[in-house]
Amino acid sequence: MQNKTKSLIGSLMVLAMTGAATARAEETLRFATWDTDESLAIQQAIAKKFEEKHPGVKVQVEPYADGYDQKLIAAFGAGSPPDVMYMWNFPQYYTSLMPLDDLIARDAAEVKPDDFPKGLMNTTRVEGKTYGMPSGFTTQVVFYNKDMFAKAGVEEPKDGWTWDDLRAKAAKFRDEKNKVYGFAVDAKPDPYDFEQFLWSNGTKYISDDGKQIDGYMNSDGAAQVLDMFGDMAKKQEAITLNLGDDTSGSTLFKGGKIAMFQSAMWSKAGIDAAGFKYGVAPLPKFGDKTAHSALGVSAISIAKDAAHADLAWEFVKFFSSPEAVAMRTNDLPVRISVAEEKGMTTDPIYKPFFDILATSNTETHAFLKNANWGKVQDNLARAIEATMIDQGNAKQHLDDAVSRSKRLIK
Amino acid sequence: MRKTLLYSALILLSALFIAPFYWTFMTAIKNTADLYQFPPVFWPSEWHWENFAAAWNKQPFGTYLTNSVIVVVFSTIGQLISSSLVAYGFARFRFPGRDPLFIVLLATMMIPWDVKMIPLYMEFNMLGWINTLKPLIVPAYFADAFFVFLLRQYIMTVPMEIDEAARMDGANAFDIYWRIHLPLMMPALVLVGTFHFMNAWNDYLGPLIFLNDQSKYTLTLGLSMFKGLHEVDVTSIAAITVILCLPPLALFFIAQRYIMDGAVGSSVKG
Amino acid sequence: MDMTYAGAEAKVARRKRSAIARYAAPYLFISPWILGFLFFTLGPLVFSLTMSFYDWPVVGERTFVGLDNYRSMLFDDPQFWESLWITVKFAAIYVPFNIIMSFLLALMLHNITFASGFFRTAFYLPSVISGVALVTIWSWIYSKEYGLLNFMLSLVGIDGPNWLGDPNLAIVAIIIASLWGLGGTMLILLTGLKAIPKELYEAATVSGVPGWAQMLFITLPMLGPMLLFTFITSIISAFQQLTIALLLTKGGPLGSTYFFAMYIYDNAFKYFDMGYAAAGSWVMFIIVLALSLGVMRWSAAWVYYEGEVRQNDGEGHA
Repeated sequence: MQNKTKSLIGSLMVLAMTGAATARAEETLRFATWDTDESLAIQQAIAKKFEEKHPGVKVQVEPYADGYDQKLIAAFGAGSPPDVMYMWNFPQYYTSLMPLDDLIARDAAEVKPDDFPKGLMNTTRVEGKTYGMPSGFTTQVVFYNKDMFAKAGVEEPKDGWTWDDLRAKAAKFRDEKNKVYGFAVDAKPDPYDFEQFLWSNGTKYISDDGKQIDGYMNSDGAAQVLDMFGDMAKKQEAITLNLGDDTSGSTLFKGGKIAMFQSAMWSKAGIDAAGFKYGVAPLPKFGDKTAHSALGVSAISIAKDAAHADLAWEFVKFFSSPEAVAMRTNDLPVRISVAEEKGMTTDPIYKPFFDILATSNTETHAFLKNANWGKVQDNLARAIEATMIDQGNAKQHLDDAVSRSKRLIK
Repeated sequence: MRKTLLYSALILLSALFIAPFYWTFMTAIKNTADLYQFPPVFWPSEWHWENFAAAWNKQPFGTYLTNSVIVVVFSTIGQLISSSLVAYGFARFRFPGRDPLFIVLLATMMIPWDVKMIPLYMEFNMLGWINTLKPLIVPAYFADAFFVFLLRQYIMTVPMEIDEAARMDGANAFDIYWRIHLPLMMPALVLVGTFHFMNAWNDYLGPLIFLNDQSKYTLTLGLSMFKGLHEVDVTSIAAITVILCLPPLALFFIAQRYIMDGAVGSSVKG
Repeated sequence: MDMTYAGAEAKVARRKRSAIARYAAPYLFISPWILGFLFFTLGPLVFSLTMSFYDWPVVGERTFVGLDNYRSMLFDDPQFWESLWITVKFAAIYVPFNIIMSFLLALMLHNITFASGFFRTAFYLPSVISGVALVTIWSWIYSKEYGLLNFMLSLVGIDGPNWLGDPNLAIVAIIIASLWGLGGTMLILLTGLKAIPKELYEAATVSGVPGWAQMLFITLPMLGPMLLFTFITSIISAFQQLTIALLLTKGGPLGSTYFFAMYIYDNAFKYFDMGYAAAGSWVMFIIVLALSLGVMRWSAAWVYYEGEVRQNDGEGHA
């Protein structure tokens, strides 16, 4: 009770301060993003458009880049977060974010919630409430260098290919002298993305109720996935990334050192600029099981105590409107209508991204299921890394991770 | 003979220390094709001087530069004045609480930034200083422990008799600080100035936490914006790094004469 | 009795100075720091101590948990001991190497005149380059497949190891990379060397004292205060070591470079557990403070202060 009074006085003081600092006629809306470079320029353009439509409003775009979480934590911790912000880590932040369901329902005619693929909306929901609007997304695919395939006389990947197919192709590119490989596997993958392989192999990190990891994270299906990647490294079908240096897969792919590269939309612009012919293939399947992809969603959210809540919601609406979504050329349109209008769902480069989106709406990312997932995930990451160093022994390392994590799962 | 040996060793060792700068420079000036060759390309096939201008123009670096210069100049002045005063106080007086206070001073160097960050943010927020350069300048006027400690150690190598002689001539404590110790500690002060300049110039966390608006950003924040979440603009990082190195480097090259050939005397034969 | 300006009380008494000025002078001199401490340090310090007794997520409910954070850190969290051990290992190697190498370099630079400015600048160069760029360079040097180091080794027929990928080597690689930034320490020692009055050496040479003895009985004692400074600040920076490991190895491989500072950092910024991070910070704070005070106490045996403030003035040193 006392705390509440104190924080009320605190926020009043803060309000008075900011009021004094910006005692001009116009309203300033603070918008924080983690994007840089071209993606940032696009967002600044969207913000400009919004300003044009709302005279007297200034949108202050605040790019925190690599330091996004640190900055946001300091700002939230001190009670002065930006009004609107990029968001993906909903479980950690949602208690300080504004639930949007009522607003979406109120303005449904304008927002058209059905225009968003269900899988994307799922990623912004915690405990049944929606805390963000998707503004851009990406799924995972395999880029391949057509020039290298032609030169080596290897048949290009086809829809519905499997990991065995990929391995057979990759083996043909290995060139010890020039340090060329067919593929790259990551010893320190983002566990968030990595779960897609478990899904594709019929398992997952943690039970749907968020209470069981034994038999999930260390299941045979999971061990199979890890062992396969370890074996690819051992047989030199793939170079191992993030084991000893931070030479990125995209760097190697752009430099012609690997023929195939599993990544997402964020690599595309760089590959375009590298100046060779490339194709995009879907993620391979494990046997005849359906392939799933992780969903990388950039959503935008409103701080719970935002000073300009109404304006913030106007901005969020605009940010996920067809007009703004169409401006985002660095990731994929979150609106089906925009994707179709741009012909992306049939374009051979973009089609694989959308195809796999359709099959990726049945699973929920682990971090949405358990509040302590962050620490568990580090034990898991250790197991993946250990498997890549040993080039095998996945089961043992995963069992280890499970036993280290037991105390964290309540 | 001894000199030849000494110089050969120095040349060899300094090559190890110059190498990173050389490599950064070469990375900045190479074309993308040379960037990831193996074996590595030590001498670029083409020289792309325009990479520097291109990187500079990708962001409002002119604005960042102005902000950085304001921060560095004003905070360095504050640091020099305040830490020399405090160091003199600790080195030359005996007073109740001196030793406990000095231990507290030392202890402040050991507080990890992670825990100071949020309370400091709250405090500056209350003062209305967030998104201004003040949090990066004003604290420098209140003496940093590292520099106080450094200057105190330096003052303590100066014989006490010098102070006493001045005192006999009727100088008061401030006179002794101003007319005797300040000139005597010139080499150490230049050192403090250099170190502080470098810290402020390269500071990343402070600006990240306390500045919001790009028009307030400093150079290092601009540099960090070439490192996105997924993709890194290596050429631009290298180019801006080279540009960022030059002012402190030039300054240091000038300053080091004063550090070395300062008040006490020139080199001693060994 | 103790309040007087260092020096003979008798002399001071002869001055007609108000008692207030006498009492106040030292406090006036150190007042900037005291004010700064009260404004910018004490608050955060108290705040973080309070946090360490709470379950304090960045956002959401805060609950008082007493000593629970400390208890679970010390008794339930293997990560705590692992990272502490790694940091101690690092410090045990880094601190002496940093000081000895800086000292040797400073001695070499002290003894030359030609091109001395160039060499001083050269050794200080890595300290001028910002962390992000420096780490990019090291990662390129150490890279197993494409790195400079292994390329050099391959020229003499050695198949280089995976420096940052091998749990046993990675910490060595990080120590080497950290030592590269010894320019600052070297400069401090060089400044100290330059401040030693050369008359001392001249007198010694005249009396036929050999070079090694001059080093032992003049240089080292006279450099004592500066050596102590570098000793303590090296310990502090060893324990706060974060940037290089964070950017170069991300704590890996297999946690072999997961430093204590990174453990705190992760708890704060990855797990959003501010209370736990604050508790970790206080543990680190106490360890470093204890070490530093130990070194200070021990230093009384070997640090000689030419200008020390003594209770009874003057006699007995020359």
